[in-house]
Parts: sequence; C-alpha cells; structure tokens
Amino acid sequence: MDIRMAGVTKIFEPDIVALEDIYLNLDRGEFVYLVGATGSGKTTLLRIITREVIPSRGQIVVARRNLRSLRASQLPYYRRELGVVFQDYKLLPHLSVLENVAFVLETIGAPSRVVKDRASTVIDQVGLWRLRDHYPQQLSGGEQQRVAIARAMVNSPSIFLADEPTGNLDLHTSEEIMQLLLSINAAGTTVIVATHDQYLVDAYRQRVVELHQGRIKRDEERGRYFVDGEL
Amino acid sequence: MASFRYALRDTFRLIFRHWGLSILTLITAVALFFLLGSSGLFSLNLKSLVADVEDDLVINVFMKAGEDASSLVEAMQDVGFITDLKVISPEKGLELLRAKLGNQAKAVTLLGENPLPWNVQIQVMKADFVTPLVRDLMSFPSVEEVVYAGQLAEKLAQASLVMNRVSIAVLILAITITALVLYNTVKIAIYSKRGEIEVMLLVGATNTSIALPFVLQGMLLSTFGALISVILLAGAYQYVSVMLETTLSFLILIADRLLLMRFYLILIGTGMTLGWLCSWFAVHRYIAEASCPE
Ligand SMILES: Nc1ncnc2c1ncn2[C@@H]1O[C@H](COP(=O)(O)OP(=O)(O)O)[C@@H](O)[C@H]1O
Ligand SMILES: [Mg+2]
Repeated sequence: MDIRMAGVTKIFEPDIVALEDIYLNLDRGEFVYLVGATGSGKTTLLRIITREVIPSRGQIVVARRNLRSLRASQLPYYRRELGVVFQDYKLLPHLSVLENVAFVLETIGAPSRVVKDRASTVIDQVGLWRLRDHYPQQLSGGEQQRVAIARAMVNSPSIFLADEPTGNLDLHTSEEIMQLLLSINAAGTTVIVATHDQYLVDAYRQRVVELHQGRIKRDEERGRYFVDGEL
Repeated sequence: MASFRYALRDTFRLIFRHWGLSILTLITAVALFFLLGSSGLFSLNLKSLVADVEDDLVINVFMKAGEDASSLVEAMQDVGFITDLKVISPEKGLELLRAKLGNQAKAVTLLGENPLPWNVQIQVMKADFVTPLVRDLMSFPSVEEVVYAGQLAEKLAQASLVMNRVSIAVLILAITITALVLYNTVKIAIYSKRGEIEVMLLVGATNTSIALPFVLQGMLLSTFGALISVILLAGAYQYVSVMLETTLSFLILIADRLLLMRFYLILIGTGMTLGWLCSWFAVHRYIAEASCPE
C-alpha cells in the first residue's frame, strides 16, 4: 500500500473543517482522480500528502512513512519521493524552462552533468525542447503546465500529485496533459489528479474519489462512477 | 560537493544582484570594524604604556634651590634595595638638556643663570620599594620634589580604565550596528528569493542547502569588510607610529608584529563569526517559519 489514510480530519483555525474522517488506500502504481466542487478539500488532501498540512486527527502513512511522526530532518528526503504539480504551477519567473527544471536537481545536490542530462531528457519528454530557453511568461498556459509537470517528474518520483493540471486549459491541451500523466503512471508511478474537469473523468475511466464538503462521497473503480455520476 | 558549488554560485549571484546593498553593507562593516579596531589599538597602547611606566623603577629627586645632594646621598648609602644612584649637578643637567633639545636649548639659558636644581636619580630593585622610599625622601628637608613613575602610572591607569570602558562601549555599539546591518541585508536577500525557497522546500531541499548561500553571503560581506578595515587600520597605524616617533619621541606605539598580527586576525575572525551568526540567524528564522506545516 503506497498511501494509507485512516480517519484523517483537518480543521483549519478557527473552525473550518476542510477534511473529515477520510479513509483512503492507494496501491503502488494506481491512478486516481480526486474530484469535487471548489472548496471540497481536494487541495488540502494533496497538501496532507506533501506534509504541508498536518491532520488534526487521524493517521496517514505514505511510502511506509508515518507523516504524523515524521522527523523534520527526514521531511526533505520524503519530499524527494514525490512529484507535485501545483495548482498555481509555482514556476520561477526569472529562470528559463531548462533552469526551472534543473533547479530541482541542483537543489538536492545532483552533480551538474546529471542535472543537465536529466533535465534535458524530461523537457524533451514533455515536448518543450525547442522552448527550453524561454521564460515562463513567454509560454502559453499549457506549456507552463508542461514545465510544471517536467519539474515534478525530474527526480523520478514514486508518487505523482497534480492539482487541477487542466484547470484553465482548452480541451485539446487538456487531453495532451492527461496523456502525459497517464504515461507517467504507465511507468509505475502512483498518480493522483485532483480535478473538477468532468470531461476528463468521463473520458479516461479510472478510479474516482469524490469529495463533498470534506468527506468522501464516493470511491469507485473505473467507469462505474460514470454511470451514476452527478457532478 | 556539487551542492557547495551551487551554493557558492548563488552566493555571488546574491551579492551582485543586490550590488548597491552589498556595497553599502560592506562600507558599513569597514567603517565599524575600523572604529572597533582603532579603539582596540588605542586601549592596547595605553595599557602597554601603563605597564612600561609601572616598570620604570627610577625615582627622580630634585633638591631645593641652593641645596646640594650630599646629605641625601649619604643617607641613602646603606639602603639595601637601591641598585643605582646617580647625582646630576645643575651643570651636568644643563649639558644633558642641551644634548637632548639641540638648538632649542638656548631658551633655557636665556635667563642667564642656570635654573636647574641638583638632581638625584635613584633606581630601586622592585616596584614595591618605590612608595615607601618616596615617603622617606619627601620628609627630607632639602628635597623640593620627588618625581616617580608611580604618579604617572596611576594617572595613566585611570585613563586606561576610562579608555577600556570606552572601548567596550565602542565594541558593543559597533558589533550591534554591524549585526543589524548584516541581518537586514541577508533578510532582504532572503525575501527576494522567497519564491525559490518555497519551491526548494517543496521539492526536498534540506534546510542547510537552502541556508548556505545566504549564510555565505553574510559571512563574505562581513569578513571582507573586516579584512578591508584591517588593511586600512594597519596602514593608519604605521603612519601614526612614524608621525609620533618624529614629533613626540617619548611616545612609542606598540611595534610587536606578532601582537599586532594577532589583533588583526582577531578582528577578521570577529567579522567572520559575526557574519555567520547574523545570516544564520536570519535565514533559520525564515526557514523555520516557511517550512512550518499548517
Ligand atoms: N490554509 C487554510 N486556512 C484556512 N482554511 C483553508 C485553508 N486551506 C483551505 N481552507 C479551506 O478548506 C476548505 C477546502 O479547501 P481546498 O482544500 O482548497 O478545496 P479545493 O481544493 O477542493 O477547492 C475550503 O473551505 C477552504 O476555504
Ligand atoms: Mg484546490
């Protein structure tokens, strides 16, 4: 089991219940859609996995690490096993595409030859090789999203989290992004995609976990969600 | 090692990216370390002067006008702890004075008559003997005045004490201001990089590797400031030494190269430590806050 949540509840000060009593198990290599309306708790759930947020109650174990008792000194090493695409991308504006991706590897002390090789490979994989020297503000939304994905992929994570990766993209671009995420999953990486893009959920029949006001409303395997979906 | 290279590269980027601020910080550090160094050197010299004077075991006795020194010399004959006793007649005294002052000596004899009294210079074995002997000498009816280093030493010691306090005040002030300026500079650098720091924390950079460029930045500015101030200080000290030697020949500044070198090294070390402490403090406070989970 790659991710295991038991009774996870998050209450933000003073009394905003973002998540309530979440039980969720994910196997290694699974692909899961996390759906739900805005404010239903998708981002909070992902941030609990990245340990930006600590649950108010309940247990969470990711990659055999108990996140409630994880020591601060271990946190960086835990995060290196994750690849995260943030809802707001968090690209660095004064770094080029290549530098934005290479930055992650430099940050964890990889030798410069490895940095250059690996960053180039990943940028090529997301189809941005010809734009590698461009800066984020020179790119379209879809291209920026690809940079964010390349950056999340670059340290070969075992768990990949994407928060609304198709948020503001047109249909065609969204499909391309989804293909990219599926290919990451095909390589054996556990993938969680938070989205409220109904079309994608319908088109790519995968496991769907739906949140509603911080609770899991349904958790269904491939396709069945499509049948009684009511988003 | 790759990490250290990246950190060093980022440090120089930080310093040059905020070059105006870096120069300002550097100038402040130079000025304050210079102030710190000069007050320290002044204290050091005053202390060495006091020690010199205290070590001076010669008592100068001046006889009343018209009295010669024979009775005094007789009385001192059997005092055991006197190691040397020199009688200087007014004529001899004038000769010595002429030799010392050169042309200016004319003024002394302008009055026509030799104004100098008989003078006896007594040297004792140990500083402890000075005060009781001075008391004895004062009670001699033919003695006009007793001049001994102890008086001067006391006054100098008092001055030295005051100077020490001033030095400590300067030390505290200079270090506080330098620390604040360094802290502020590093903090500004940190804030200019908060986007990077946020991402770095999220992708698994260790606190140390995030902090390193900023810590190096603070250390480099501060150490460099101290270094420049030491160069200026050494030059100024040399200049003042030579100047004093030619004008006030009795005032000789400490010329002990080893001692001075040690003093300068301490100053540079202080700069290094201060830079390290301030930037470390600034960056760790920031990271602790930024990495605190909700
Ligand atoms: N840092 C926070 N402080 C306070 N409330 C928060 C915080 N983050 C999220 N919330 C609240 O928690 C609820 C869930 O938010 P979120 O997880 O962002 O939902 P979603 O990503 O599904 O839109 C919302 O009501 C939101 O206002
Ligand atoms: Mg969200």
